[in-house]
This record gives sequence, C-alpha cells and structure tokens, in this order.
Amino acid sequence: METIRQSGGVGNGIKLALAWGFVGIPLVWGVVQTLVNAVKAFQ
Amino acid sequence: MAVLSFLRRERTVAAPGYSRWLIPPAALCVHLCIGQAYAFSVFNLPMTKLIGITQSGPGDWKLTELGWIFSLAIFFLGASAAILGRWVEEGGPRRAMFTAGLCWCGGFFLSAIGVYLHQLWIVYLGYGVLGGIGLGIGYISPVSTLIRWFPDRPGMATGMAIMGFGGGAFIASPLSVWLMSRFSTPAHVGVAETFVALGLIYVCFMMVGAAIVRVPPPGWAPEGYVAPLQPSRLITTENVFVYDALKTPQFWLIWWILCLNVTAGIGVLGQASAMSQEMFRGQITAVAASGLVGLFSLFNMVGRFIWSSTSDYIGRKNTYFVFFALGTVLYALVPYAGALGSVALFVLCYAVIFSMYGGGFATVPAYLRDMFGTRYVGAIHGLLLTAWSMAGIFGPVLVNYIREYNVTHGVAPAQAYNVTMYVMAGLLVVGFVCNLFVRPVHERFHMRAVEAEDEVAAAPVFGSE
Repeated sequence: METIRQSGGVGNGIKLALAWGFVGIPLVWGVVQTLVNAVKAFQ
Repeated sequence: MAVLSFLRRERTVAAPGYSRWLIPPAALCVHLCIGQAYAFSVFNLPMTKLIGITQSGPGDWKLTELGWIFSLAIFFLGASAAILGRWVEEGGPRRAMFTAGLCWCGGFFLSAIGVYLHQLWIVYLGYGVLGGIGLGIGYISPVSTLIRWFPDRPGMATGMAIMGFGGGAFIASPLSVWLMSRFSTPAHVGVAETFVALGLIYVCFMMVGAAIVRVPPPGWAPEGYVAPLQPSRLITTENVFVYDALKTPQFWLIWWILCLNVTAGIGVLGQASAMSQEMFRGQITAVAASGLVGLFSLFNMVGRFIWSSTSDYIGRKNTYFVFFALGTVLYALVPYAGALGSVALFVLCYAVIFSMYGGGFATVPAYLRDMFGTRYVGAIHGLLLTAWSMAGIFGPVLVNYIREYNVTHGVAPAQAYNVTMYVMAGLLVVGFVCNLFVRPVHERFHMRAVEAEDEVAAAPVFGSE
C-alpha cells in the first residue's frame, strides 16, 4: 500500500474549522441544554 | 442527470491534499440528523392533543397508537440496512447519504401531511416506513468510508459517527420543543409545522454531508502508517463477500453479541426513570428522574466514542469481554445499591452500563472489519443491525414482563426490578461466552483477489494524507 503525504495547509484548515463547527456547535448546544435541564431537575 | 453524475462513486474519489479529518464531520452531518429518532417521544404527548388542544379530545390519537411510529421506524431501519447494504456499499457514500436525506426528510414532510389531515396511517407511512428507510441507509452510509480513511484507528473513526447518532437526540429534543412553542397557538398544536421545519433543517445538513464526503483513492494510506508485517490473528487482511459472511459462525456470534448487549441496555434504558423512582422512593422525584435519564443518555453518547477508541488499543474482542464482565458485575450491584439506599452507587452503575451500551454499537463496525475485511463491511454491518431491531422489541418486553410478574406476585415495587437485573446479568454472561468463541474467519470464505478489486481501481492514485 502506498503511503502518501498530507498537504493542504491553510485552505484545509479553514475547511476543517467550518466542517467541524457546522456539526460541533449544534452538538455542544444540545449537550449544554441537556446538562442545564439535568441540573435543574436535581435542584 | 447532473445530480446523478455528482452522486456517482467515481466523483467522490478524494483529490490530492484532501484531509481525512473532513470525513467524520460529513458522517456526523447524517448521524446527528437521524439520531433525532431517539427524541421522537417529545411529539407523543402533543400528538394526543391535536383535536382537544389542551387535553385529549374525542377522536384524538392514543399513546399506544403513537408508540407504533417509533417501532416501525426501528423495524425499517434494520430491514433497509440489511436489504440495501450492498447497494449502499457499491454505490458509494454520497449516493447513500443523498438518498438517506431524501427519505428521512420526505418522512417528515409526509408525517406533517398526516398530522395536518389527522390520518395516522400517513404518519406511519411517513416517519415509520420512509423515515425508517432513511435511518437504515443513513446509519450505514459512512461506515466503510470511515474505516478506509482511518485504517490505523477504525474504532475511533466509526465511534465518532455513531456517537453522533446518540447525540442527535440532544439537539432534536430541545429544538423540537422550541419549534412547537413557536408554531403553537391557543387553537392549534404546532406539530405539523415543526415536522416541516425539522425536515428542511435536516435535508440541508444531510446534503452538506453528502457534498463533502470522499472515498480515498486506491492504494491510499495515512502518512507514516505501515500495515503490520505480522497482522494480528483476529484482524484479517482478506475480504469476505457480504452474503458469504452470513454463512460464517463469526457473523452469528457477533450478531448475538450485539443483540444481547443491546437487549440488556435498551430494556433498562426505557425504564430508567420509573425504576429510579420506585427503587429510591422519596429520594428521587419524577423531575430528578428525568434529569437522570438525560445524564444517562450523555454517558450513552460519550461511551460510543471512548469505548470504540479504546478498542483500537486493546482489541475488539477484549473490549466486548470488558462490556460483558463489567456489565454483569454492575447489573448484579444495582439491587444491592437499592437495598443500601445508595443513589450514588445506583447512578454510578447505570452511568457505566449506558456507556457500554453505546460502546457496543460503536465498536461493532470495527469488529466486523477485523473479521470480514473492509470491502463489504458497511453491507455486513447493515445485516447485523437486524440484531438491534430484535433487541429493540425483546429488551423492553422482557423488562416490563418480569416487573409485572413480580408486582402481581406480591413483590414490593422497590424490589420488583431485582430479578430483572439478574436476568440482564445472565444475558451478558451468554454474550461473554459468544465472544469467547469468536475465531478468525476460515479462508474458504475469503474473496479471491480479483473479486475483491474495488470498482474505483481505475482511479488515479493521489498523494494525500
């Protein structure tokens, strides 16, 4: 199997930040909402 | 025609410089959306008041009738993943994600019509059948692609996607409640509009996933990755054809491993709220119990990533040994926690149990890859999901039946779950034995090199990650 070098640099960095932000922000928002509700429930 | 061409597998071969770390977000775009299924129950109560508005009126749907929507969706998840697995595998991830998006969102739109017309069969057809097919295709669509991009860490890669399925409910639940509050009026429950809004949001997300997903060029390997010269006995370098996998004892052993692990988890997951209140009467209120269920779901999600990543280091077989051995001890400890009145011990036991429940789902694709190779792993995973459908029916029935039997025979509600816990521990012992028998697949099931040729073999070999 040929081992291949990674390239990309800044362009890839921006794409990665956008892609991860696109899925990460809603997920973090949902987890925070759940934790807030859990804390409220225990109070 | 241009759309069809865009969906072809050949069009998804990664160009030079494409980062493999774009694949997990592409997979999450799909899994975070279809994970909404776990939050469908937020619609149950509002859907019993579509006519009566403030309370159920004559002609309103009953909870028992609505329960079939989720059951149908899970049934069609398993059925479509099993039947369409080969189609998904051979057509590539983009076509599968695109189709899953259309089915999933079409299911929401059709359900909105069903709610608007107050015709329950249309909702069954929409969310249950069409949405369920979207669930099945979407669930398996990124699996083999992730495994090919991450040959060094297949457990972690698939764990990330399947964690998204667990996490989808965390987004869908508050979002659905918020949307319903925006669309509802004193004379109208905003369920239909919420379905339309969710369908539109999910179609956007899933199409972004389909657009950014890529398959690696043939011969690609991550930088610095060298395939082990002496591969582990339990990690094959060969491939097994999807339907030949069904003829192997390994497939059926892993089928039972998944089924038993899910049966134990899903049975108590549905009863966690009632169980905690009955076992700790006066200590855990209904509101606190709902908070506990949220907390357990969080462990279910996080466990998917942590356990599947751990399996890359300790091996898949050992990971399942941990699930079954530790799970047996923890299930047996739950009645003891109840007898002691120790809420902390109860929560600790359940938190770990639910993390392993999620971990079981997330680790199984890598286990299949170890046994059957990468060529048809997505399709084989699809066939395996019938174990989930089976467990989804069997688990809750088992828990409810045992509890009911105990209560009707004079056992106090606080102790009514003790037998259930011991039965669950017993199921895990059976799972442990199944795992013990897993051996490498016999070479007579291996595909010949020519058969295993990937259809993208003609594509150029790029220098990428």
